[in-house]
Amino acid sequence: MLEFLSRLFSRDNGSKNVAKERLRLVLVHDRTSISPQLLETLKADLIQVVSNYMEIDESALEVNLDSSGNTVALVANIPVKGMKRTANRRI
Amino acid sequence: MGEVIVVTSGKGGVGKTTTTANIGAGLASMGCKVALVDADIGLRNLDVVLGLENRIVYDIVDVTSGNCRLRQALIKDKRLEGLHLLPAAQTKDKTAVSPEQMRELCGELKKEFDYIIIDCPAGIEQGFRNAVAGAEKAVVVTTPEVSAVRDADRIIGLLEAAGLYEPKLVINRIRLKMVRQGDMMSIEDIIDILAIDLLGVIPEDELIVITTNRGEAVVLDQNSRSGQAYRNITRRILGEEVPMVNLEEEDGFLKKLRKIIGLK
Amino acid sequence: MTCSKRDVRGEVISGFAEGIPAGQEDLVDDNTILVQRTLRSGQSIHYDGNVVILGDLNPGSEVVAKGNVIIMGVLRGVVHAGACGDENAVVMAFRLQPTQLRIANHITRPPDDEPEDTGQPEMARIKDGVVTIEAFQTGGERQGKAN
Repeated sequence: MLEFLSRLFSRDNGSKNVAKERLRLVLVHDRTSISPQLLETLKADLIQVVSNYMEIDESALEVNLDSSGNTVALVANIPVKGMKRTANRRI
Repeated sequence: MGEVIVVTSGKGGVGKTTTTANIGAGLASMGCKVALVDADIGLRNLDVVLGLENRIVYDIVDVTSGNCRLRQALIKDKRLEGLHLLPAAQTKDKTAVSPEQMRELCGELKKEFDYIIIDCPAGIEQGFRNAVAGAEKAVVVTTPEVSAVRDADRIIGLLEAAGLYEPKLVINRIRLKMVRQGDMMSIEDIIDILAIDLLGVIPEDELIVITTNRGEAVVLDQNSRSGQAYRNITRRILGEEVPMVNLEEEDGFLKKLRKIIGLK
Repeated sequence: MTCSKRDVRGEVISGFAEGIPAGQEDLVDDNTILVQRTLRSGQSIHYDGNVVILGDLNPGSEVVAKGNVIIMGVLRGVVHAGACGDENAVVMAFRLQPTQLRIANHITRPPDDEPEDTGQPEMARIKDGVVTIEAFQTGGERQGKAN
């Protein structure tokens, strides 16, 4: 009985949702042929470039590939702490 | 002129051969002239699934290499008039046939048959390239598992690269009880991810194991649900509008009906 | 069917003629090879002589011989004896349950209903133009011929 009830209430948390979510993430990488390692390198490069212009919270930075429909978008969420007055470009 | 359809999946063991055999038998039972081509050279299976393994004299490699004429290698089914099999070779490997030869072979078969169904080997290597070379349409088979769906996605991409656009999806071995419990991806979940048209859904059915053991096609069994599902697929291939039955409801209803009649 | 050694992928064993013992020409009509293992699905032997296999012939395997084929085990695969048209060729096995059996230009397969296992060595040969299968007799004419 308890099992039945818990199953009834946990319907949304069935293992299929885990499967679907994992699959979705895997396919985003498959379809764009970008490996997680490549995404990490991209993240590091982004930090380097953006921090030339503004102070950012590196630990809270998020980079993801989002797919909606048939298109894939690179979504970067970069919290800004403050602006820099002059761009200190490396020569 | 006939139509060449390749049945593929990427992953092995999802039911390509079973689907090929049943679509072929289904089309033949509706009066079409059908040729089934086993493109899995070196690991032939379609012959045993159809129960024709002891009739093989020549195979696809004998045809492409000119050892025999196409007509000599084609095996007539023991039950269905109009169903023919071109078996794969067992003692050779995928490199024994080239995509050009497959294209030529399909062109030859098209002259004589209404439908040519090609059973593609698992994988994405030469066997796959051979199997899709002569095809005009594609059917992708998957099961509701992450590995199978992922491979199906990869295959859909490769089919498009080979010029086979808009492949149709067959979801095999779905277990409605598990879907209801939220422990198996549903039809909608899979369609949502793969974003291609659905050709049909086959429920998990022990009868498929039994009919395969006997070398028969479940599509000819009028009382089974998997047979009904394959018959619906066959009719959709023939261009009929067959509504997707809500398997869940049907299941519940059948169960109730069985209870009333007194069957377990 | 060509009778030259075929260049097929898989296993092809080609033979070379050996000297035939004097006085036994009628028995040893050609060269013979001995295969000391079981042939599995996909493996095949093409040989322009007799083939003796110390092992089984599994489903999906194939033996094509110009002469006789003797399987010291279970024959479940495809076998073709007398591949160049020799109607006197025979196939013998401890258990004769072939997927398909060919002798010369004759092709036979077991009946579609369940094959009965006789549990004894059998021999297939052409008699009056049809392939017949009979229990293998060690005594009688054949033995007499050998002595």
